[in-house]
Amino acid sequence: MADQDEPGFGRRPLMAGAAGMLTSLLAGARPADAQSSARRGALVIGLDISDALSLDPVRVYQYSNPLPTRAAYDGLVTYDAGDNITIKPALATEWSYLPDGKTIRFKLRPGVKFASGATVTAEDVRFSFARHLNIKDQPFQYISHVESVAVVDATTVDLVLKDPTLPVISIIATPAFGIQEKALVVANGGTDAADAKDKDKATEWLNNNSAGAGPYRLTGWQRNQQIQMVRNQNYWRGAPGYERVLIRHMSESAAQLLAIQRGDIDVAFNLIPEQIATLKNDPNISIMGTPSLDFIYMAVAEAPSNPALQNKLARQAIGCAIDFDGIIKNLAGGAAVRPTSFLPVGTNGSTEALTKEIGFNEDLPKARRLLAEAGLPNGFKFQLAYGNAAIAGVTYQNLAQKIQADLARVGIVAELAPMDQVNLRTMFLGGKAEAVLTFWNPPAPENWLWTSATVNRVAKRVVWDVPADMHKLVADAGAERDLAKAAVLYREYQKRMVDFAHHIVLVQPVYQVAVRKSVSGLNLTAAGWMADLAAAKPG
Amino acid sequence: MSGVAVPVAVPRPRPAAVRWLRRYGLAALGGAIILAWVLAAALAPWILSYGPNTVDVANRLKPPSAMHWLGTDALGRDVLARVVYGARISLSVGMAVVLVGGLFGTLLGAVAAYARGWAEEALMRVTDLVFCFPPIILAMAIAAALGIGTVNTVIAMLVVWWPKFARLARSLVLTQRSLEYVEAAQSVGFGPAHILVRQIIPNAVGPLIVLVTLDLGQAILVFAGLSFLGLGVVPPTAEWGAMVSEGRELVQQWWVATFPGLAILSVVMGFNFVGDGIRDWLDPHARTR
Amino acid sequence: MIRYVVSRLVTAVVMVLLATLVIFLIANTVPGDPALAALGDMQASDPVQVREFRARWGLDLPLWEQYWLFLKRLAQGDLGISISSRRPVLADIIDYAPATLELATIAFLLSLAVGLPLGVVAAVKRDSWVDHVARFVALIGVSAPTFWLAFIMLAIFYGQLDWAPGPGRLDPIAFPPDRITGLLLIDTALAGDWETFRDAAAHLVLPSIVLAASTLGLITRTTRAAMLEALSQDYVRVARAKGLLARVVVTGHAVPNAMLPVVTLGGLAYANLLTGAVMTETVFGWPGLGRYTFRSAVTVDFPAIMAITAIVAAIFVLVNLLVDLSYALLDPRVARA
Repeated sequence: MADQDEPGFGRRPLMAGAAGMLTSLLAGARPADAQSSARRGALVIGLDISDALSLDPVRVYQYSNPLPTRAAYDGLVTYDAGDNITIKPALATEWSYLPDGKTIRFKLRPGVKFASGATVTAEDVRFSFARHLNIKDQPFQYISHVESVAVVDATTVDLVLKDPTLPVISIIATPAFGIQEKALVVANGGTDAADAKDKDKATEWLNNNSAGAGPYRLTGWQRNQQIQMVRNQNYWRGAPGYERVLIRHMSESAAQLLAIQRGDIDVAFNLIPEQIATLKNDPNISIMGTPSLDFIYMAVAEAPSNPALQNKLARQAIGCAIDFDGIIKNLAGGAAVRPTSFLPVGTNGSTEALTKEIGFNEDLPKARRLLAEAGLPNGFKFQLAYGNAAIAGVTYQNLAQKIQADLARVGIVAELAPMDQVNLRTMFLGGKAEAVLTFWNPPAPENWLWTSATVNRVAKRVVWDVPADMHKLVADAGAERDLAKAAVLYREYQKRMVDFAHHIVLVQPVYQVAVRKSVSGLNLTAAGWMADLAAAKPG
Repeated sequence: MSGVAVPVAVPRPRPAAVRWLRRYGLAALGGAIILAWVLAAALAPWILSYGPNTVDVANRLKPPSAMHWLGTDALGRDVLARVVYGARISLSVGMAVVLVGGLFGTLLGAVAAYARGWAEEALMRVTDLVFCFPPIILAMAIAAALGIGTVNTVIAMLVVWWPKFARLARSLVLTQRSLEYVEAAQSVGFGPAHILVRQIIPNAVGPLIVLVTLDLGQAILVFAGLSFLGLGVVPPTAEWGAMVSEGRELVQQWWVATFPGLAILSVVMGFNFVGDGIRDWLDPHARTR
Repeated sequence: MIRYVVSRLVTAVVMVLLATLVIFLIANTVPGDPALAALGDMQASDPVQVREFRARWGLDLPLWEQYWLFLKRLAQGDLGISISSRRPVLADIIDYAPATLELATIAFLLSLAVGLPLGVVAAVKRDSWVDHVARFVALIGVSAPTFWLAFIMLAIFYGQLDWAPGPGRLDPIAFPPDRITGLLLIDTALAGDWETFRDAAAHLVLPSIVLAASTLGLITRTTRAAMLEALSQDYVRVARAKGLLARVVVTGHAVPNAMLPVVTLGGLAYANLLTGAVMTETVFGWPGLGRYTFRSAVTVDFPAIMAITAIVAAIFVLVNLLVDLSYALLDPRVARA
């Protein structure tokens, strides 16, 4: 049950939260009520925000809070909806590596104003990054290879890297790296000094207010109730379409369904496939699908407790005995794709076609052959752990039971071990789990963030002694700035990963979001913040 | 006993059969329900056309039909089969918790009451302590410490279960102690153990049976609740609370959660009917009527 | 009397402390490390960060020291900071408690309003149809699994008939009133915002009925049994012999005497409602203490778990104490004993 939040990891766009079973909602649904006066001019979003810990950008890394953070803060660069490969300018108009190879120089867009009316300066940019570097919360980890930030002049700023082979521009497109207004943050207890980790006191204020240059300004957050925002009249792309944005916490998908049918909310983010199906014929609602960059995978460890799993062939046999199509078509209601390995479809070098070509595919005779070669003709036993959550309506519990039934066909016995999040994380991170069903979502669409994770921290979790050439492959691909050449390296990476068979990727959901037709311009994105609200407007 | 019905007109005399039915009809119904569930659980493999864990995702969430009388769940498993197999878990967990907890609590309470003094005082303080625990926290902490599973959940339940038996047993023994036949037995020279086992417990057994019967339903209810919260059984074991939990997000597919819920309701009601019947039967005011 | 109260209070404090100690010890046997669950994925993989986190939250101290720290803070009224929400536990509880308090109180009043008269009438008109209906209702109430009853109620009265609003304390688009007590009914009334008041009241209907169901069963049963007992006592017969009217006998003599067990049970039932609403809150998306408790337990959020244990134990001990005191007031023999 529920409620297991899983900060930063495996969390649930759709918590197996609660209320459901509202029999035949369609039959009972009312037409949209006359909207109250409070409602007019407001964009109301239904979303499970129970995972949000903070709205202070330097501490934003859960699943739901990047959405309001992006609405309140613009960053130097961004991604357009639908394209997760090409970086687009935002507060910076241009950027380039200086001849030293490790300094990136950004030119700021002139005349951009914060919601407060103050002009965005290079000092604000420096302050924002320095605050990250010294507070060192989770988002800092993504840019820990940044050495320093320096103001060149009022509209020019330099980012100096410790390790120039590592990507950074794609990472700072993430809402956590939105630019904060120094004066306002400092006035409310913030600091970017070296002791900011202990001395910065601005988070409490930033949880209820924002200091950014995004299309909306945060005016309040009642935990587990709602997040309120108002229009930023100074927004540099032009005044946004709504006077206010309300993000209502609704943990139950069934409640979201009813609310959007009634017109109480305009956008429902957490519907399950069965509910989406009932909305397809509603004339007032359109279903928007966004292929996400998230996926559910099964980590299979070379567990000391299980000799069979230490055998690569046995792990491969697991990958050949799973009915992947059945999972996607039935459990995920067809709203999902499946990548080859640890790089989601839609990133550079990862496509569904590649999965058919070199990925795991259901092949029972091959699974039996592999088992025989592994010296385990009668199969083997292993423990499959998972938490109590759901991703896009697919519960780990159902997935685990399906896999258990699939594997039984070739004699592999998966003993299910449902666990609370704390024990699960402790076991998995400590390399003590045999197999785990879990979830991966990236902070930013940068391939290197996935690949380096697999050969470093995730490798430890699956007790994988990563060969040197694999490390080199990941480093080379990450340093390659030519997308086409990088794609070739990433193909090789995926092929190797399939061979090692530690990560069997099962479902990469296409998130299906219900939007009332009275809203236009809402751009859904897979890049990590769900939607850009800047262009959304009534009508 | 005319005092009981003071304010109303004296009821018309009725045939004995009608009177019996009015008084014990519900108890008989409860007994029949429980018997039916016990039989179904015992004969499950022979009376069902599907296994409880036969996964068939192509036929998931099908409404009740001639093929699947109660429909199928999110993995295409037969809901009827899972409901019937679920009775095995619920009934045996109920029995285990109440019998073990009841036996332990009763013995402890009886011994403490018989011994008096500090032993009694200590026992009562321990039961007080257990009573003031938040049960959910206790169950969750134990589940987190031991891992999720039927046996561990039963252990967690036992921890909070025995004290009420201990208290009841104590008060019963205290009452019995002062009665004449116990004093008579003492004067004849029987030892305390003999008196406790042969005299007191048998005479106090009536209220205990009532508590046990009512408690069986309660135990089943609590276990289903813990399962609903994800603390009960390990999948794919069919269990009613877990089944309701699985069906709770399914808007259109009402059958997934409704039938296991009805199963819980019927069994718990069965035990309550029987328990109430026994209580009425033991109640001296009732018997004399 | 005063000595009795003081000694009971001392015992109560000891009980609460013991309860927290036991929970503390059990929670510490959990193999999982709350630091790993609370940190982001990359931080959790960095031993330095994990160490820092553990130090910051006092998780690296010896057990007895952690517990001593808890006691010291508790004595100062500081419940610590929740690991999972990163806010003071007290602030969390102040946020969540009113939702539960409001729901439990309404449910309790509801079950009293229905259960007491039903129990009295059932006893007075024993074996009549009222008695049978009362017993049946009571049995259903205690037999139906709360979580399932909640679903069915939502399915029928919200999903199908659309008579009641859905989960939550307010409509998704309604604005909560300015927080004064946190009790929506009171806050909206104080603000004179009757539209929101109606909304909040409507949202209370289904969950309070569900929550009241089992309590209602208990109260009806206890009242009936106690009334039967009272009606069979000599003084009732004496009263009757004196020629008092039936109504006077019942309300003037039997009911007051039957109230003793009902008070006991009612007190405990209210304490149960306050602390045991987790199922109802889960199904109705009610942001109350039950959900908070559940969440804290799942995330092994030590400070929150300890605080809730202390609070819940205190509620139970206090309610017990109040019940006993009311006994003493109603029946002076207890105080002297």
